[in-house]
Amino acid sequence: MSREMLQGTLDMLVLQILALGPMHGWGITQRIEQISESVLRVNQGSLYPALYRLEEQGWIASDWRGTENNRQAKFYSLTAEGTRQLASEKENWTRLAGAVGRILGAV
Amino acid sequence: MGWRPRGQFEDEMDRELRFHLEQSAAQHIRAGMAPEAAHRAARQRLGRWEAIKDECRDTRRSIMLETTLKDLRYGIRVLLKNPGFTLAAVLTLAAGIGANTAIFSLVYGVLLRPLPYAKGSDLVVLHQKTATANDLRFSVPEINDYREGNKTLSSVVEHHSMVFLLLGTNVAERVQTAVVSANFFSVLGVEPKYGRTFVADDEKPGSDAVLVLSHNYWLTRHGGDPSIVGKVFQMNSRPHTVIGVLPPIPQYPQESDVYMPTSQCPTRSSARFQQNRNGRMMTVFGRMKPGVSLAEAQADLSAQAGRMAQAYPEAYPRERQYGIAARGLRDELTEKAQPLLLVLLATTGFVLLIACANVANLLLARLLRVERELAVRTALGASRWRLVRQLLAEGVVLSLAGGLLGVLLAPFALRMLVSFAERFTTRAAEVSIDTPVLLFSLALAVVTGLLFSLAPALAVSRVQQGAGRQTGSRSKGRLRTALVVAQVAVSFVLLVGAGLMIRSFQKLQNEQPGFQPERLLTMRVTPNGYRYQGREAFDVLWQKVLAKVREVPGVTAASTTTNAPFDPRGIVVGPGNVDFQIEGRPVSPGTLSPTVDLTSVSGGYFASIGQPVINGREFSDRDDAEAMRVAVINDTMARHRWPGEDPVGRRVTFDAGRNWIQIVGIVGDVKEYGLDKPVGDELYLPSRQGGFGNILIVRTAGEPLRMAEAVRRGLGEVDREIAVDRVSTISRFQEESMAPAKLTTMLLGLFAGLALVMSMSGLAAVMALAVSQRTQELGIRLALGAPQSSVFHLVTWQGVGMTLAGLVIGAAGAIALTRFLTHLLYATSATDAVTFAIAAILFLLVAVVACMVPAWRVMGIDPVAAIRQE
Repeated sequence: MSREMLQGTLDMLVLQILALGPMHGWGITQRIEQISESVLRVNQGSLYPALYRLEEQGWIASDWRGTENNRQAKFYSLTAEGTRQLASEKENWTRLAGAVGRILGAV
Repeated sequence: MGWRPRGQFEDEMDRELRFHLEQSAAQHIRAGMAPEAAHRAARQRLGRWEAIKDECRDTRRSIMLETTLKDLRYGIRVLLKNPGFTLAAVLTLAAGIGANTAIFSLVYGVLLRPLPYAKGSDLVVLHQKTATANDLRFSVPEINDYREGNKTLSSVVEHHSMVFLLLGTNVAERVQTAVVSANFFSVLGVEPKYGRTFVADDEKPGSDAVLVLSHNYWLTRHGGDPSIVGKVFQMNSRPHTVIGVLPPIPQYPQESDVYMPTSQCPTRSSARFQQNRNGRMMTVFGRMKPGVSLAEAQADLSAQAGRMAQAYPEAYPRERQYGIAARGLRDELTEKAQPLLLVLLATTGFVLLIACANVANLLLARLLRVERELAVRTALGASRWRLVRQLLAEGVVLSLAGGLLGVLLAPFALRMLVSFAERFTTRAAEVSIDTPVLLFSLALAVVTGLLFSLAPALAVSRVQQGAGRQTGSRSKGRLRTALVVAQVAVSFVLLVGAGLMIRSFQKLQNEQPGFQPERLLTMRVTPNGYRYQGREAFDVLWQKVLAKVREVPGVTAASTTTNAPFDPRGIVVGPGNVDFQIEGRPVSPGTLSPTVDLTSVSGGYFASIGQPVINGREFSDRDDAEAMRVAVINDTMARHRWPGEDPVGRRVTFDAGRNWIQIVGIVGDVKEYGLDKPVGDELYLPSRQGGFGNILIVRTAGEPLRMAEAVRRGLGEVDREIAVDRVSTISRFQEESMAPAKLTTMLLGLFAGLALVMSMSGLAAVMALAVSQRTQELGIRLALGAPQSSVFHLVTWQGVGMTLAGLVIGAAGAIALTRFLTHLLYATSATDAVTFAIAAILFLLVAVVACMVPAWRVMGIDPVAAIRQE
């Protein structure tokens, strides 16, 4: 299976990462790779359009802050609406994964 | 989050991607890569910079569009779910935007649209002035002096108007003829619709006579015949060839039927006239050289006037204070209409503000009902910006619907408005609802929508700020009260304005004209001047005309005059002022002679129009050229020039004593130049001595216009080549003279009425809402034994209190604003206390009624049910 992921999945993963706390774009790619133990590799070219899409939909918000090395970076954080969206996407995913798992188990 | 300006957006995107690359490269370096290779790897991993930015931009744009559409759809859905609210709001807005569209198209067409002349802003009109006259015409030597002696004008052209008979069809037709310089149209920059305009050769003496037709004349009298160029008409006993047709342009100083070069006018081309410095007949236009300002042209022309005064002291005596003024052509064309149009524009602007406040109040009231829904959505994480956007979208949908309806209604109002504006400016013909006007309406609708959804949007943002539900409603209550107070204040200003106009109009209507205008037929009678040589021939003709008309059955009296009372032309031009001297009162050198307005009337004139003879006698047909020269003066002149004396038997002269004229009678004052104009000194001469007037006045036994045909037939029997036009009645002239005041009053009254209805429905709605919100409290009061009437009063007084607050503010506003009405008012002060009082009382009465309706509902409150209400 390709290590690049599907569009919808990326959105959900971004929301999930941001649920842990505000983060900049680079950090998000690093976190996803770390947590997935490098199973998932983020297509960096499609990360930013995804961030802009999520922001326009009002699920995440952004602001410029200093990093630990005192560099200015654009940090994204989850909005209340985003939290709600994440919950429903997680639920969907779990349902879908469960269904797929049941089908695979049945064979 | 939310919207950022484009430049900032691009900049942030670059900074963000740069940060990403640096971090990525740093990671590679930490892993042991050479810096250059690390950067390359990072760049490769990220992908193409521009492609990413493009995709980000697209994403953002499509989502913004999508949410906007979603908001609009949501707005439409909400509006359709509340048809009553939507209908009320759309109608209110349609009235407001429609009125503004109509008035703006008038303002745009008349005041703002560039003149349809090439570089119209460089065109000026010249006026000669003296101590007693503001607007002297020019003589030929004067035109030549200014043409040669100025340094600031690239060209100077002239215009005067004559009436000639045009023969070529079966009947003799009277045509208003403008006599102009050959380069008149090229200086104005007017291109003909057909054929050509004049060239220098047309003006040379002895060249073939040519005519250019005005657009309106060509359209109405020649059916818009495109092959008219080349057609030959008989005029002034010469063939005249049509060489061109003008486009539809505003004509200044007056509308003409045809144009001819100066050399074709018999008067203008006579050698004696051309040398006569005092033969002032022409209007003069100039085009300023590029870069010359009006002030510079004025200074230059004044210097030339000074040189002329020095060179010809007998024509410009020092005490006359001779001078010249240059004014922009645009100002000349529109000066009468401007104050009125601006008053109307301000009025409709106010009406729209009231409409906005009304819709804002309706939205606030509806918001209150869905407050719970909003609170839930906010708790669920709907962003404030999103909710505000939805409300704004709803507002814009509403106002666009209202605007569309308004623009559809505007043409109906416009037709009436154009005929109204025609009384003030020849530019009215240019008025139409076209692209700039539609853009204005669209902008107006959008701004209106944003404006009235602002209040609810603010209210929503307050809900979000976490304050409890209660405070939210209470502050909305305050906002609603403020809106109602503001509406009342603005409506009161409009009501006072309309009230002032109504009072002024009433006073105008109560003015006595000084004669009996009923059943007076009038028409202009023009004989072909070439068939009658000399004074005697005309004398015989006019005696025949009067004798013939008096024979017509149904005619009780007939006379002729040079100016009929209320004649539209007389009203425009106003009284003349002719120098005269009184016997025994020589005018000392260096002082001005007395002046008087002169009218020449036939025998029996005063009896025929019912103007009373106070003293002495009126003219008879025996006051002819052989008899002693006589005059009749009006009461005002008698009192002005001979206070405490009897003027009958006194003598005056108009030619420095060569001929003395004896005053034989005094007649009552007649307001012949308009009911709103003060009566000045009038002196009447008998037509057989002072010149024949061609306005026929006929007193009839029955309906005067029915007699017109019989009178016309009688005239035809006297001479087949007599042209008759401007057939009307004096009563009609009188109505016409009051029409501008009447229409202005009606328009302002209409808008004030609209404002009153809107603000009172706003008040009623707010009171109804207050009652329904306070049902519980009122129920408790009732349960505790408060009599129903006290609760009723409580509610009513609250509404009256709001109205009073609005009235106080409105009165202050009205005092500040009504002075702009001053010159539209007749014998009425702009701060007329009676009008203010009546308007305030009327307003309070309507307010009480508006509060009664919701207050009645209080009476129906069942205390127990009310308290249980959750």
